[in-house]
Amino acid sequence: MSLIFGYTRNIVRGLLTPLESVVRNKSLYWMLVQRDLLNRTSGTVLGKVWPFVQPAMQILGYWFLFGVIFSMRSIDRGPDYLSYLLTGMLPWLCAAEILSRSTVMFREFAPLYRRNPFPLEILPLLIMTIPCLVYGAVYFVMNLFLGGLDKALFSLVVMPLFILWLMPLTLLFAVLGLFVRDFTQAIPFLLMMILFLTPILYFPTMLPEGVRQVIWINPFSDLMAIVHGLVEGSEYTWLNVVRPFAIWLLLLGPAWLIFRRSIPHIREVL
Amino acid sequence: MDTAMDTAMKETAISMQGISKYYKFYEKEIDRAKEIFTGKPFYQKIEALKETSLDVSKGEVLGVIGQNGAGKSTLLKVLSRTLLPSTGEIEINGRVAALLELGASFHPEMTGKENVYLSGAIQGLNTKDIDRIYGEVIDFADIGDFINRPVKTYSSGMFVRLAFAIATHIDPEILIIDEALSVGDGAFSRKSFDRIMDFKDAGKTILFCSHSMYQVEVLCDRVVWLENGSIRKMGNPVEVITEYTELLRMAAPKEESIASTNQLEKENFQNELDEKKVKNIPSIRKVQVSADGVLGKVHKINSEKSNLEVSVIFDVGEGVPLASVAVAISRGDGRIITSAGSVNDGVALTTNDSGQGVAKILFPKLPLLRGNYFLDVALLCEKGIHLYENVRQAAEFNVEQKGLERGIVKLPHEWLD
Repeated sequence: MSLIFGYTRNIVRGLLTPLESVVRNKSLYWMLVQRDLLNRTSGTVLGKVWPFVQPAMQILGYWFLFGVIFSMRSIDRGPDYLSYLLTGMLPWLCAAEILSRSTVMFREFAPLYRRNPFPLEILPLLIMTIPCLVYGAVYFVMNLFLGGLDKALFSLVVMPLFILWLMPLTLLFAVLGLFVRDFTQAIPFLLMMILFLTPILYFPTMLPEGVRQVIWINPFSDLMAIVHGLVEGSEYTWLNVVRPFAIWLLLLGPAWLIFRRSIPHIREVL
Repeated sequence: MDTAMDTAMKETAISMQGISKYYKFYEKEIDRAKEIFTGKPFYQKIEALKETSLDVSKGEVLGVIGQNGAGKSTLLKVLSRTLLPSTGEIEINGRVAALLELGASFHPEMTGKENVYLSGAIQGLNTKDIDRIYGEVIDFADIGDFINRPVKTYSSGMFVRLAFAIATHIDPEILIIDEALSVGDGAFSRKSFDRIMDFKDAGKTILFCSHSMYQVEVLCDRVVWLENGSIRKMGNPVEVITEYTELLRMAAPKEESIASTNQLEKENFQNELDEKKVKNIPSIRKVQVSADGVLGKVHKINSEKSNLEVSVIFDVGEGVPLASVAVAISRGDGRIITSAGSVNDGVALTTNDSGQGVAKILFPKLPLLRGNYFLDVALLCEKGIHLYENVRQAAEFNVEQKGLERGIVKLPHEWLD
């Protein structure tokens, strides 16, 4: 009974503590968000346009390869390939950026907290903020053009949903990135494999029957089904919702516990 | 009862009960990750602070002394909340400003102004609080239009001026100082020293960690001596410092011990000095040393016969309070035999219209015994704490004696029936 109570407490704390800390330190949080944006654009000619241009260029590259050269077409569904690619790819790019950055998060912000009392628990939300805002804005505008206001409004839910789901992974990746250096080296390969094993660049129906069931082991496949359902109105099942939610519940408690345990070690390592 | 306890707590700035801090040593780096993920210990303890309890009253200036590795830095970091204690409880009543690593949170791409707001926010101030102190910060830092330029374009002097201005304008109730009583160069060095003294005069709580026993003795109301992570002794500065310096002399091989402890003070002193070679601050223009009326750098002294006269010609900058002068006679190993200072002797120095002054001191019938000695001269602030400039080995004496006395000085004495 106490085990369940402790587990539940860690889930609640894992979700609420970073949020409470952001509210308590809102001045600091907002300044760091601005600093983060400045970091990305400092010294460039295009300045604040770059965060928006980068995802657009990446998508253009994928579309050129798969849409133009490989001439991907849907076999049994309505939307054309470019629309399908954009709907899944932008949330994925956002997630990939957050996960990748979480592995170097503690090192990147070390000058801020090494000699100062600093609320470390705001860092996971901090590194999520700019990608969420930038990709969210691009996503909204894109859906406004592709499908009108209804579709655009639905798309507003997607990035916050993704971020919420990524919370335990961000906490775990941050700890792994600092204390297991090999993990940082492996992360580009890991992210590439997740991309290939998730129906983002291809339609699920393009896979052979036998393989089609296997991709649902990957929770990102479920998330993509939900995203396409919300934005494009395609079908998704209750299993697509239950599976990632169960994984999220299973991971968040332990992830928060591990994150908390790592805090006294962080300044010592750095 | 509760009211009495509340009153006691209100009077206490810092209360530490049973604070320990141990660093964890892992044979392999992966062991740390194993511990975090499994919750099982994989480390060996290295204790930096052991079960330390300490109360610091509001308005108290507490000196922290001890040899390297005694736990001083760990104590300061725990109190400034950059390190979490392993065990024990700390209660801190009031905002803490730690002058430990100034400008550590500065972002090079952000302007000085943006960094003022960022640093303030890290210290727990909201935007309105920072708006309120912003004008005072830029006035104090005095870096002109650079405040709107990225910090990466600052000179090291400007950087530290802005960082010091922020750290000391967040209205701290508790100030933590590690070694340096002043920062920056030129006039700012004096300005920053005055700022710290203002905190003392305003009754703020100060924790001052230093190897300079002189400064600790002059400034502190109480001294805590740390040894191997524990409090060895705590109390009156004179008593604690006397016992500490005596132990340093006894603990290691004689000459080496004296040389090493003095060497450290010398290095700290020299580091400060190196930053002061600038214009427009009080400086020593000339030191003249004469023995029996003969001027020179190296003197032959007859014990108990020769008269030694030292003249220090100095310049005081405009708008700077009158300076004070101190001289010290030391052995080649750095051990000071004796010293004299104008503040301590209650002598007020004067200057002419162009801000130049002369301090003269006479040592009649120098009672030093056979050996080589050196004269050091220092120009200090009017309180005799802040060092403007010093001249090491301004003169050398070769003392000769006729008698067979041993030692370094002949004390007045008489044989009784």
